Amino acid sequence: MIRAYVVGAGRFTAALLAALGNLIDRLGKDVLAGVETWLTEDKHAKYGLAVTRILLGLTGVGLLLTNLRTRLYTFGAGSAWNGEAAHPSSDFPRIWAFSLFHRLALHNTWFTVAYLGLLVLAVLVVLGWRMRIVLPVYFFCWVGFAEMNDLVGDQGDNMYRITIMALLFADTAQRWSLDDRRATAAEARADGATGLLGHVRRAWSGGRLLPRWLTNTTHNLAVVVITCHVCFVYASGALYKASGSPWQAGYAIYNPLHVTRFSPWPELADFLTQWGPLVVLISWTSIILQMSFPMMLTNRVTRVIALFGILGFHLGIAILMGLPWFSLSMIAIDAIFIRDVTWRAISDFVTETWRASRPSTAMATATAAPRASLRRRRTAASRRS
Amino acid sequence: MRQNRPTSPRRNRTNILRRRLRRLVVCGLALAAAWHIFATFLWIAPVSGLRAVVPGNLLHDYMIPMNGQSWSVFAPAPINGDYRLQVRAYVDNGGSSYATPWVDATKVETSMLTHHLFPPRAAIQSTELASRFKSSYDDLTADHKVIVKLGYFKGDDWEKRLTAKLNSYGDQPAVEAYMAEEHEITAYSTQVAYALWGSKVSRVQFVVSRRNVVPYAQRNNAHAQRPAAQVALTGWRGTTEEPGQSRADFASVFRKAYAESAR
Repeated sequence: MIRAYVVGAGRFTAALLAALGNLIDRLGKDVLAGVETWLTEDKHAKYGLAVTRILLGLTGVGLLLTNLRTRLYTFGAGSAWNGEAAHPSSDFPRIWAFSLFHRLALHNTWFTVAYLGLLVLAVLVVLGWRMRIVLPVYFFCWVGFAEMNDLVGDQGDNMYRITIMALLFADTAQRWSLDDRRATAAEARADGATGLLGHVRRAWSGGRLLPRWLTNTTHNLAVVVITCHVCFVYASGALYKASGSPWQAGYAIYNPLHVTRFSPWPELADFLTQWGPLVVLISWTSIILQMSFPMMLTNRVTRVIALFGILGFHLGIAILMGLPWFSLSMIAIDAIFIRDVTWRAISDFVTETWRASRPSTAMATATAAPRASLRRRRTAASRRS
Repeated sequence: MRQNRPTSPRRNRTNILRRRLRRLVVCGLALAAAWHIFATFLWIAPVSGLRAVVPGNLLHDYMIPMNGQSWSVFAPAPINGDYRLQVRAYVDNGGSSYATPWVDATKVETSMLTHHLFPPRAAIQSTELASRFKSSYDDLTADHKVIVKLGYFKGDDWEKRLTAKLNSYGDQPAVEAYMAEEHEITAYSTQVAYALWGSKVSRVQFVVSRRNVVPYAQRNNAHAQRPAAQVALTGWRGTTEEPGQSRADFASVFRKAYAESAR
C-alpha cells in the first residue's frame, strides 16, 4: 500500500518535473525566437536615432561656432604653453587615425582649414548626407579635436565619443536625412540594372550593401548598447551623489550655482536658491530621477514623466551652469527613448501646422502626397523583408 | 514535380546551413554587445569586488582609451569654491625696472562666461589650471611649501635647481607632480605677462587661491562673508615658453577679455 503511494508520488513528481522542463524549454525557445525576431526583422528607433544624429550634429556645430573666435587661444598655437603639442596628455593623439588635429595644432592656417572642415562635417551629420562615409570621418576628426586640450574637456566629450562610436553600427540616416530622400528617389526611378555596376550604383544611391538581417542586428544592438550606457550613467551618477552629505541634506545644487565657473547667471542662481524648499526639491528630484530613470522607461506613463523630467534637468544644466553643448548631447541621446510613432505624430503635427500657415496650401498638399505614398510603400517593404 | 525532387533536399540543406550561419553571426554580435555592456557597467559603477570576474587588466585595456569615462561628476559633493590665478611680472625696461600690479587671470577668462548663454571653452582654462596646481601644492610637505615660496628665476636652470632642492626634502612623486603643474602654470603666466606688459618681462610670479562660497545656511544673510581664501604662495619664476607658442594668438584673445573684465 505504502509502496504504491511512493511509486505514485514519484510518477507525479517526475511528470511535474517533465512539464516544468517542457515549459522552460518552450519559454526559452519563445524568448530566443522573440529576441532573434526583434534583432533581425526590422530596425528599431529609426526616428529616435535620426533625432539623435541631428542633435549630436547640432552639438558639434554649436560647439565649433562657440569656440571659433578663440580657437587658436584654446586649441592652436596660442595654447602651446599647456604642453599638449609636445606631450599630449590624452592617448588619442598618439593613435594615427585620431591625430589630424594634433599634427596641425601649431599651424594656424591648416588648423583653421581643418576646424572649418570639421564644421562642414558636423553640418553634413545634421543633414544626414552620405552617412556611411561622413559619420566615420566625422568621428575620427571630432575625437582628435576634442582631445586637443585636456584642461577644457568635460564628461560630455566622453559621452559624445562613445555614442557616436555606437552609432557607426546603426543606420541613423534612414529617416529625416538627405540619404533617406536620395534612397526614396532612387527607388522611384529603379532602373533594374544588374551586375557589379548595378550593385555599386544602388549602393551609392543609398541601397543596401550588406544583408538586411545583418544591418538590422547591428542597428538594434547599437540601440541596446546606447540604452544601457545611458541607464548606467544616470543610475551610477545618482548612487555617487546619494553618498554625499550636501545631496542628502538637499542643498547640493546651491554650491556649484555660486561658483563662478558653473554660474554664468549669478542673479538667477541667487534667485533660485533663496527659498530652501525649492533647493531641496531640485536637488532631490535630480537624484530620484536619475536613479529611477531605467525603471521608468519600462512603462509608457512613467517614461513620459522621466523624459520630460530629464529634459528639464538638462535644460537647467545648459542655462544655469553654462554647459549648453553637454546638455544638448545628453538630450540627443535621450531622443531614442521616444517611440517612432510619437516622432511621426510630432512630425505630422508640425508639417500640418506649417502647411496650414502657408498661402499655397493646396499646391503643397498635391506635391507632398506622392512622396508620402512612396514612403509608406518603402516602410511596408522594409517590414516584409 | 518529379524534376524538382532531386534539388529540393539540397536547397533545404542550403537553407538550413544559411539559417544556422545567420544565427551564429547574430549570436556572435549579441555576445560582443553583451560583453561591451557588462564592461561598461563595471567601469561606470563604483569599484567593487565584481570587477574580479574579469581577469587581469582586460577591463582597463578594453575601456581605455575608447570607452574611458567617469560619472562621479558633482559627487559625492559638488564643487563649493572658486579657484583664482593671479599673475604679476617684473619688467626690465632699460633703466626703469619695475614689478607690475597683480592681474586676476581667472577673472579675465571667466568674463567670457559670465552672462553668456554659449560660453567658449577658453573661459575655464585658468580655473582648471589653478585647481590642478592647488591640488598638487596641497600634496607637498610643509618643508616643500617653504621652498616654493622662494624666488627661482636666475639663469636657464632655475627649474632644475628648484626641483633638486624640493627633492632634497623627500617625497619625490609629489615633487614630480607639483613641478609638472608648476611648469604649466608658469608657461601660462608668462603668456599673460607678455600679453599685458610686453616682451621686456624678465620674470613672473603667480598666486593660486581657493575661496569657498558663502555657506548655504547663511545665504540669505546680507552681511555673510565668504570663508577666508586658502592661498598657495610661490616666489618669482623665470619666464617659460613652449616650442611653437604664438604670443600674438594668446594675446589677442586675452587682451580683449581683459578689457571686457575691467568694465
